[in-house]
Amino acid sequence: MSKKQKPIIRLDKISKKYGEYKVEIKALDNVSLEIHPGEFVSIIGPSGCGKSTLLHCMGLLDRPTSGTVYIEGKDTSKITGKEISSFRGDKLGFVFQNYNLIPRLTVLENVMLPGLIMNKDPDDLEKRSRLLLKEVGIAHRINHKGIHLSGGEQQKVAIARALINEPVLVLADEPTGALDSENSNEIMDILVKMNEKQHSTFVFVSHDLDVARYGKRTIAIKDGKIISDTSDDSNDFKSMLKTFDKHKKIRRGR
Amino acid sequence: MGVSSRLAFGEFKEHKKIYAIIIVVIALTMTSFMLENAYINYMMQVVDDTTKLTTSDAVIIDPSCNIRDIYGTEVELKNAGKIASEIEERLPGYTTSVRVTSQGSYAFDVENEAVDGCTIQGIDPKKDNALVNIKDKIVKGRFFEEGDPITRGHTPIYIQIEGLGNLPNFAYGTSEKMLEDEKPYPIIIGATVTKVHPSINVGKTFSVTISTSGRKTSFASVNVKVIGLYESGTPTLDTMIWFMHADSLREIKGYGEITGDDWYIPGVGTFRGYKPIEVDENRGDVVIVKAPQAINYLDPIGYSEGVKDTLEKLLPNHNIYTWHDFLVYIAGSMQDVVTIMLWGSIAVTLILCCASIKYVMDSIILRKTREIGSLKAFGARDRVIFKIFLYQGLIIGFIAGLIGIFLSIVVMNFVNWYGLNLEFVAGTQIKIGFIINWLTLLVSMLLPICLAVLAAAAPAKKASTLSPVEALRKGELAL
Repeated sequence: MSKKQKPIIRLDKISKKYGEYKVEIKALDNVSLEIHPGEFVSIIGPSGCGKSTLLHCMGLLDRPTSGTVYIEGKDTSKITGKEISSFRGDKLGFVFQNYNLIPRLTVLENVMLPGLIMNKDPDDLEKRSRLLLKEVGIAHRINHKGIHLSGGEQQKVAIARALINEPVLVLADEPTGALDSENSNEIMDILVKMNEKQHSTFVFVSHDLDVARYGKRTIAIKDGKIISDTSDDSNDFKSMLKTFDKHKKIRRGR
Repeated sequence: MGVSSRLAFGEFKEHKKIYAIIIVVIALTMTSFMLENAYINYMMQVVDDTTKLTTSDAVIIDPSCNIRDIYGTEVELKNAGKIASEIEERLPGYTTSVRVTSQGSYAFDVENEAVDGCTIQGIDPKKDNALVNIKDKIVKGRFFEEGDPITRGHTPIYIQIEGLGNLPNFAYGTSEKMLEDEKPYPIIIGATVTKVHPSINVGKTFSVTISTSGRKTSFASVNVKVIGLYESGTPTLDTMIWFMHADSLREIKGYGEITGDDWYIPGVGTFRGYKPIEVDENRGDVVIVKAPQAINYLDPIGYSEGVKDTLEKLLPNHNIYTWHDFLVYIAGSMQDVVTIMLWGSIAVTLILCCASIKYVMDSIILRKTREIGSLKAFGARDRVIFKIFLYQGLIIGFIAGLIGIFLSIVVMNFVNWYGLNLEFVAGTQIKIGFIINWLTLLVSMLLPICLAVLAAAAPAKKASTLSPVEALRKGELAL
């Protein structure tokens, strides 16, 4: 991945405020960021620091209060309604902490779903789904209902589902948050493998430093601000760990 | 199949138990609606048929008369024959008949049989049969035939007595046994009369006292012979409506050229006596009119009103009533009341069903918030989410409608085949039957669909407008 390439996504001074009971909470504060094709980015930070909000803004699930999100150079603040839905379905893939499989659908149907929503050819979708499920190592459970799968298996299906529409960017919100360490490592290995094999760009959010370590680039957020980015030469993961040492201890304490 | 319908079917299957309850309630409501409606249709058709025996599509009576006179107390309609001809000439497709009407009373001097009354319709067998199809309703005996002794060539002996003091004038006539070979007038009566009065049947000759004027105390007793029994389906009305030949009644009422002078006996009155009469076919009490076949058979009342309007334009100075006017007069607004009550009870049940659909869907949406958020994240437009829930309403309504129609058709066919009868007045029986028309079928299919879709629309809208991030967050909370 080269920084000379045009970024897939560029956040330009985005801020996000929430107001409740006259109390204003600044979830994101003037965040600027670029993600380039093929990158594998982890975003870390303590709970409530704004990392999920950042991911939601990148995924066009939420609108920033100010600032602009550019995806493949397109100003997304200017697209609305059905265009934003199509844009999201076409360009982005999502992996959620709780997998969010449709329980009554089979593994294959779950993977095909985003493609069907985008009105793609079902036969092509089925072929691609089978391939992706093989890649993530869950091909043997293709006709099982999502509800009958273990957490790790469900997340593998969710990864295949996120890749079905060949998105330019896959966003994963705490992809291992509901898994034990063995399954977490397996899932992260799959994400790395898909990043390398499918040349997909991944951004994932985690509060777990062991998981964040998988990121080839790591961005640390605190109080809605980027405090460290390993793509910056002045930073590396070790110095970042120092920043978050306290949190690491807390996690290990648990 | 689109993604919305696939997901809707999946949702429907997932919640089939709760939806099944709603479907059964709606289906049974629609079954009840169809059965009641089909029975009302049947009853109304039967009553309409009977009513039309007296009125066909419309009846024209003298301006001095009103609707209550259609029981047979109309005064003579001036220029009846001319009016009938004018209608046929100026309104293409319209057919008419000049009728003579009267009221009669009779008794048999049998302990258990009361004095009874009837309205006698004097008909032109050919014309009236074309208008109201009486012949096909004969269940025993026969219709009028050539050679029947429909006239005798004389008026009854007729004496008018001046009322003494406060007593009203009174006229009485009789033609019984005036000649050696005097033959009774042929008459067709309702079959149910034989049940109320077992001493009557086909071939029975008896005396009927007939009013010879719609307004005066003027009667004539004549002998009649039952040649046929008819059934229109409405026993009580059949008991009351009898048919004689129009010329028989013309002779009895003196509608023709009477030769000879009346004799006046001081202190007693006028004695008309036994005088030859040539009946005048153009004289009568009413003109009944049949309009061309209704195009809009779904709205017979509206069609009938249209016929009335047409006739009123042609005959602005006459009283014109439709069969529906008469029906409303004899049955009050029973049909309307029954219909309103039926719709009211159906509406209450359906509103409750709609409320349950909305409630069930609201709770489903609450549970499925995260799923909705995920679908939106995958690019599903609001319309896709909206349709998922709307289609569920559609499926519920469609299945409920189908089951409702199926159940009611099974019940109707069984009852129609089995021939259920209910004991009615004085031993007469009324048949329970059903008539289903396309309008009822259409309503029974479309009503549950429309209501279920309508009930699903609000939750569907709510689900479709959820913001994806809110849906994902709320979903986390809901779990």
